[in-house]
Amino acid sequence: MIEATGLRKVYGAKTAVDGISFTVQPGKVTGFLGPNGAGKSTTMRMIMGLDRPTSGDVIVNGRHYSQHKAPLHQVGALLDAKAVHTSRSAYNHLRAMAATHGIPNSRVEEVIEMTGLTAVAKKKAGGFSLGMGQRLGIANALLGDPQTLILDEPVNGLDPEGVQWVRNLARYLASQGKTIFISSHLMSEMAQTADHLIVIGRGRIIADTTVDALIESQSRKRTLVRTSETTRLSELLARDGVRVEQNERETLEVYGVEPLRIAELALDNRVLVYELTPLTSSLEEAYFQLTKDEVEYHSHITGGPAAPGGPLDGSPAGVGATSATTMEGIQS
Amino acid sequence: MSTTTVSKKHAIPSAGTGGVTFLRVLNSESIKFRTLMSTKLLLVLTFVAIVGIGLLSALVRWNFINQMVEVGRQGHKETVQQAVDSFPPGSGFNLYNLPNAGLNIGILVMGSLAVLFIASEYATGMIRSTMNAAPGRLSTFGAKAVVLVVVSYVLSLVAGVVTFLLASPMFANFGLDLGWNTDGVLYSVFTGGLYVSGVALIGLSLGTLLKNPAGGITVLVGIMFVLPFAGQFLSLAPGEFWKYVPQYLPSEAGGRFLSIGHVDGTLDPWAGGLVFLGYVILFMVPALIALKKRDV
Repeated sequence: MIEATGLRKVYGAKTAVDGISFTVQPGKVTGFLGPNGAGKSTTMRMIMGLDRPTSGDVIVNGRHYSQHKAPLHQVGALLDAKAVHTSRSAYNHLRAMAATHGIPNSRVEEVIEMTGLTAVAKKKAGGFSLGMGQRLGIANALLGDPQTLILDEPVNGLDPEGVQWVRNLARYLASQGKTIFISSHLMSEMAQTADHLIVIGRGRIIADTTVDALIESQSRKRTLVRTSETTRLSELLARDGVRVEQNERETLEVYGVEPLRIAELALDNRVLVYELTPLTSSLEEAYFQLTKDEVEYHSHITGGPAAPGGPLDGSPAGVGATSATTMEGIQS
Repeated sequence: MSTTTVSKKHAIPSAGTGGVTFLRVLNSESIKFRTLMSTKLLLVLTFVAIVGIGLLSALVRWNFINQMVEVGRQGHKETVQQAVDSFPPGSGFNLYNLPNAGLNIGILVMGSLAVLFIASEYATGMIRSTMNAAPGRLSTFGAKAVVLVVVSYVLSLVAGVVTFLLASPMFANFGLDLGWNTDGVLYSVFTGGLYVSGVALIGLSLGTLLKNPAGGITVLVGIMFVLPFAGQFLSLAPGEFWKYVPQYLPSEAGGRFLSIGHVDGTLDPWAGGLVFLGYVILFMVPALIALKKRDV
């Protein structure tokens, strides 16, 4: 179990983590989700006692990490796959780490076998591919057979088999009553692995909920409308304060209005509509929706008026076709 | 790689339940030290270099004494023993400190190795794994220090003995009484390693403070090998005061510790040793504080 209260970390003028509180429960896989630079890694480093919080506190299994007598048996962490001396073999690296807790070499061989590193265990870790480095980092985290497992972007660089394996491992360990905390910036990955999600953006928690509840809260009724008179129909809908986006020619996405109402409006104004399809949000879209205002590093700066409204209030983020540019900017 | 493997393996608590102890961290650090090919190679080369440079230095002394003997045959009354005794302590031409004749190489290499022992962990990111396994942090520094001190001391001692064994027969033709019972020989054998160990501790501290292998080694070389030159210039400054300052430099105080006998106007060997020890502590304390307080 991980308990953070008012956790805050400031680097110079930049607040990386801004007073977050959360609890990661045992027996579940908890996903820690957020865009790049949201504060995920900083939070995990504070849990592991590598970085000192500016204020607030975080404890794992009832104590600060550094106060555990046998920390590797309590918490195993993969924070950075590159946390290995490049000229030492994987086997010797793990042997040195295991020695701090008197963990026998048989266990070292076991985690090497579990992570599929047997063939390369005697080779220098510096020559490992990204995927092999990740496997070594996971092997390192599993050394002490810990109660709590913290994995920062574990599937980065893994092949599909490796991704599947990490997923199964996380689910299996959670079923054994262990606490599993996995960060990712990919919602699609978390959707398949996690039971619970903590979403972070710009150092603040913007959602702490189950996967299903997140989709529910973020999904909005949308309707795909195909018409040759997109401009006219947009204007008509905008008159009622309805949000409309145009991403393709002759295609509109209309938010928060029943298809029936759109059809009535089109009929009243003699606009020809040749498709009306209700759409439901995917988890990916829910995530974009949730974090669109919290993304630290935009791909490019978008024009048009800034989208008003907070990420959680569910209000339309903008009115009229101009907001379409904003959405495109984030999705590109 | 399959889930079935995972479930089978996890049924057995094979990881033990042991906690972190200093001896275990020491074991971990000694595994780290032993499992780098470059380190082992470097130690062998260092041993060869200490003995080699020691022999070269002995040859220079032999040559010098030989010239004095030649001069002596042309009418001077001094015996060889008197000639040797007339060298001021620390002049570099004494024979009792032959064991430490190549010690400067040991200082350079072991000091650099000490910087690397921790700074390369910062450079590769290994330090995060290390600090996760032993989150007390200071135990890691302590364990690294013990490994470095033991290796430095044993290496210097063995190299010193070998240097003396190989170099002392050179001087037999002068009829000098040079053996293990000569004043200062055993003292040199046992103190040389202490000096190298001290430099290694300074190196470890610099590596911790700077987190950077190149930076740490540069600063260490600056302190041990460049500062003495600056000291020589300083002693040329007008006024008596400046003549006494350079002997308080780490390298000078440490060097004085390796010699025997009292000389007016210079530190006694034990005082030199204390000054040098003071420098070691001066570097270690900030390093320990930084290690404990700083984000990894």
